[in-house]
Amino acid sequence: MEIKITNLSKYYYSGGKTIKALDNVSLSIPANRIFTLLGPSGCGKTTLLRCIVGLEAPDTGEIKIGEDTVLSTEENIFVPTENRGLGMVFQTYAIWPHMDVFNNVAYPLQTRKVPKDVIRSKVEKTLRFVQLEGFEDRPATKLSGGQQQRVALARALVAEPKVILFDEPLSNLDAKLREETRKDLRIFLTELQITAIYVTHDRIEALSLSDIVAVMNGGQIVEMGEPRDIYLNSNHRFVADFIGRTNLIEAKVTAQEESVTKVDCAIGSFACRKRADLNPGDNVTLCLRPEFIRLKRGGASEAQNVFNGQIESLVFIGEAFEGEIKIRESQIFIKTEPDSDIRVGDSANFAVDPDHCLLVIR
Amino acid sequence: MKRLLIVFLALIIVPSAFAADSDLVQKAKAEGQVSFYANMTAIAPIMDVFNAQTGLAGKYTRISTSKFLATVLTEYQAGKLMADVLQAPLPVMQMLKAKGVLAPYTSASAADYPAWTRQDDQIQTFGIEYVGLIYNKELVKAADAPKRYEDLTDPRWKNKIVMANPASHATTISWLVGLKENVFKSEDKWMEFLKGLAANRPMLVKSFGPTPAPVESGEKHIAISMPKYIITKAPAPLDWARLEQPLMGTPRGIAISSSAKNPNAAKLFMDFWLTKKAMAKLSAEVGEYVLAPGVFPPIDGMDKAKVIPIRTLSEKEISSYGTMFKKIFKLH
Amino acid sequence: MVNKRSVLTPALIALVGFLTVCPVVMLIFGSFSTGLGAFGEFTLDKYIQGYTDPELGGIILNTIIFVLGSSFVATGLALLLAYLNTRTDIPFKFMFRIISIIPMMIPHILFSVSWVLLLNPSNGLINLFLRQIPGLENLAINIYSLPGMILVEGLLDLPIAYLILAPAMASFDISLEESSKVCGGSTLRTLFRVTLPVLRPAILAAFILSLVRSLASFAVPSVIGMPGRIYVLATHIYQSIATGFAADFGKAAAIGMSVLATSITLIYVYRYLTSESEKYVTISSRGYRPSVIELKGARYPMFGLVGILSMILIVLPVLVLLYTSMVPYSMIPSAKAFSMMSWKHWIEVINDPISLLSLKNSVFLGVFGATLGVTLSIFVAYVIVKVRSHASGLLESLSFLSFSFPGIVIGVGFMWFFVRTPLYATIWTLLIGYIATYLPYGVRPLTSAFVQVHSHLEESSQVCGAGPFTTMRRIVIPLLIPGIVSGWILMATMFVRELTLSVVLSRPGTEVLAVQIFRFAEDGLWGQLSALGIMMIIISTALVLLATLVGMKFKPVEE
Repeated sequence: MEIKITNLSKYYYSGGKTIKALDNVSLSIPANRIFTLLGPSGCGKTTLLRCIVGLEAPDTGEIKIGEDTVLSTEENIFVPTENRGLGMVFQTYAIWPHMDVFNNVAYPLQTRKVPKDVIRSKVEKTLRFVQLEGFEDRPATKLSGGQQQRVALARALVAEPKVILFDEPLSNLDAKLREETRKDLRIFLTELQITAIYVTHDRIEALSLSDIVAVMNGGQIVEMGEPRDIYLNSNHRFVADFIGRTNLIEAKVTAQEESVTKVDCAIGSFACRKRADLNPGDNVTLCLRPEFIRLKRGGASEAQNVFNGQIESLVFIGEAFEGEIKIRESQIFIKTEPDSDIRVGDSANFAVDPDHCLLVIR
Repeated sequence: MKRLLIVFLALIIVPSAFAADSDLVQKAKAEGQVSFYANMTAIAPIMDVFNAQTGLAGKYTRISTSKFLATVLTEYQAGKLMADVLQAPLPVMQMLKAKGVLAPYTSASAADYPAWTRQDDQIQTFGIEYVGLIYNKELVKAADAPKRYEDLTDPRWKNKIVMANPASHATTISWLVGLKENVFKSEDKWMEFLKGLAANRPMLVKSFGPTPAPVESGEKHIAISMPKYIITKAPAPLDWARLEQPLMGTPRGIAISSSAKNPNAAKLFMDFWLTKKAMAKLSAEVGEYVLAPGVFPPIDGMDKAKVIPIRTLSEKEISSYGTMFKKIFKLH
Repeated sequence: MVNKRSVLTPALIALVGFLTVCPVVMLIFGSFSTGLGAFGEFTLDKYIQGYTDPELGGIILNTIIFVLGSSFVATGLALLLAYLNTRTDIPFKFMFRIISIIPMMIPHILFSVSWVLLLNPSNGLINLFLRQIPGLENLAINIYSLPGMILVEGLLDLPIAYLILAPAMASFDISLEESSKVCGGSTLRTLFRVTLPVLRPAILAAFILSLVRSLASFAVPSVIGMPGRIYVLATHIYQSIATGFAADFGKAAAIGMSVLATSITLIYVYRYLTSESEKYVTISSRGYRPSVIELKGARYPMFGLVGILSMILIVLPVLVLLYTSMVPYSMIPSAKAFSMMSWKHWIEVINDPISLLSLKNSVFLGVFGATLGVTLSIFVAYVIVKVRSHASGLLESLSFLSFSFPGIVIGVGFMWFFVRTPLYATIWTLLIGYIATYLPYGVRPLTSAFVQVHSHLEESSQVCGAGPFTTMRRIVIPLLIPGIVSGWILMATMFVRELTLSVVLSRPGTEVLAVQIFRFAEDGLWGQLSALGIMMIIISTALVLLATLVGMKFKPVEE
């Protein structure tokens, strides 16, 4: 089910100051896809989620879930949370400690006055789906973190909501379990053909789990797109920085050519991916992802997009070398093949394909 | 069982002595009940007799002296005074009279009471809340008990006296002032007495209620308190000091409410209350000093004691004497 | 929920405000009026007289020492007991509940009198006993002193503090302690650096409630303070009304206003200190398993300490009561005293129809009043904790309003108010007055409990399609059971022994236990008083057992 959000704003007042938790956000979340809101803490992603669920009342705006308007400050509509028919997994899981697993999961059906036998069969089916068969009678507090997480998921799914929301559901799990659960979750959600909205501050989680990622900052959505697209084609300095490890170098546009935009910066001049919206003289930021910086053996250093630097540090991490090189006053992170024979102190040439020299603004 | 017996006896004996106007009885019966506000305690047995004898439902509400005026005036001003008959210390009754709470009624039952008990047509005085010196007879020999009030200043009583707080307890304040006006020959002698008493560092409690317990238990030896405790606290080893001087106390008054819902029952109740039989019962059961002629509490020697009423002090006087006693007793 | 909350808060403010403000408004009128009623000509005299008293300074100093001292005693002991009970493997845990609740049931005046019998300097039993030890022949521990008052009042306020602290302690998130230990903190260090700070809202709540209660307390200052010539505000107010036959409650109210102001300030301080309540959320679905600390060698010594405490708190006063109820008059225990023992006082009480009626009324008020009071408290606590707007701050202050007023005055305020309603002289005046005055007894433990229920637990219920009332019924209330039980017990036992309001509001037909006890006290009939007092304790015990059993049946977490 599609979700359409229009001009949503939410303010907090604290100590006489107004904080814009959501600043006139408009967006459309496509149906039956996994949609992730990614951003640092305080960017407004959780507030946006809570507005969709109805746990927060925005100051202005409109939210439509499918054809139903659940919120419109203009028409004075506010559908209470319990009538929005959603499912949600909380960061703390919010498993009720006074109930057993069965009752936790059955609760959404019970509130909807579903007949008892239907409840039983649906709960069993859902528990099987999340691989918690036979846990019905366990007290909720006697479960491991991963199991609780799955109970929370089962509870969110059992009433077959059209939309399911996740508020950083993996942040309380250990790294290995997080990775597994992430994979499982993607399989579950894809299989269910359900609209999922997922909030996280973890870029790897966002990239690996989502169909669409929206990066938020300062109460606004900065960029939105498919994970690969966002990663490779970031338009904004903030997004490029937040979504992956990168080198950001201040630069000045020198010329617009047919297929590339040329810039000068502290480590030399670069031909970059064409960005037509820039004019010579504009200040931009050059974004070089470490993994696209390649060691260049021999060859002339004056060639395009090649720079010479001294290796300052180098760490072997198995699948690659990670290191820092020094070029004049600048430091650049690199990531290179594990079979390279470079050493700390070596001077070497490095090259970047113009298509991987990204120009970002702001 | 004992109570049943009393009721039974009352049924037989009292009607003969209590020959009320039959017209009044009829009207009172039609009203069916009567509400009695009193600051006195333990008068339930008398209510039982009244109820048994008249068939009316007499309801007794105990209101302590400190809340009596506030309660009655609050109800009266709101038009909800629930009392038909009121009983309180005379000063309180006089204040109620000044506010118009009381109605005139002269009961025939009190015809033979002393004349001073009926200074107006509303309040009938029927008893004296008499104050004396109560001592523990196991710890103090009768011969050693005080003979005169002045004996309380003897250092042998140091730390052995208990009394109500002379800075705040109105009855005690009035009593101390009464000593000046009725007992001591001069103000100097009185002052000497006060200072001597204060020098003995009596333990001060908030009212008469807590005075006997320390004497009974032997924590203190003597109390400025009410001799009626000899009856109510029997078999506690209490006795009273037979003084050469008179005993004194605040008179107790009774009257009918001007807004009585059951005015006839109220009169009937007051008539009953003032009968010699009812007063004798009050005297016998709770040791009250009553003014019905010839009735004395069953305390040895009390029939020979001289008991006199203390004049009503104004609120101003009480508070200024209270302040004075506060200084003398060094209550800072 | 967002919209419903906005209705709930004003509705509760109106209700609680009506209950608590009316009597106080009457008292304010009274304090500015000439005459003895609530309405008269305007005057400032009562304030001028009340506040120009040269002794006021010393009295305020005494009051501060008394109130702070007794609150420290109460909170400190409660903390120790709650910690030992909920967090350690100390044996005979059931004793703790008893210890903490019994003093709640003993009428304060009786408890104070018991202590006078035990520790008066002339022939107090403990003094007599200690004097037999060589070298101590001249010992005279004097209960009639500030330390004596602090001790007894502290013991009396202990149950309130305990019943607030124990549930908080029981639902403490153990991972917070574990993480401290992982960081190298010793058990003691963990206790002082983590456990106690995290429990700060509950500790403060307990402390402030003790402060407010001891500020309004009258039994200890009158029974122990007055004979020692130590005056605090409560007894000072009593003096100012009791001098003379025309008690001026308006003047008492005028002095009481400063007590009220102090209490309200304290409550605001408390709110300020705990304003970041989110910080202290300690029940989440994961951390709901308090672990037990092994006392090892200290197990029995600690138990010995508790044993001594319970001796002092329960066994001694109750024994003194039982003894007093059986001897014919106040006597020092001796062969003679034991030979004179009988059931005389008991039989007199049982045969007294008013005593029996008062028994019935008190049970009714205890059960029905506490149930109603706790129900109201749940809503009030909910708004205080979960809404946390300026309006909810107002509500919290309102709930303390009549509670903060010195007891002897507030009763008159209620009388001035109720006499203008058709309820006057019915049992409903008592019921309403009790709930209005003792609302904090229900609200406090429930606030502590609410603070610990993570808001996600409620929100997830809403997302699951449950409306606010279903959420309340199925999620919030079950999680609050420990708080509800505490609140109910506090209210029920309080209502069974309530005196200050009852003595003003009770009329024929609506007599209650404490009023009957008060009559006995006024007449110095300690025997009957003790007999009725023990009956009162038995009734309260039955109510406490009932509440505990019901609470166990609906225990929130299956083990």
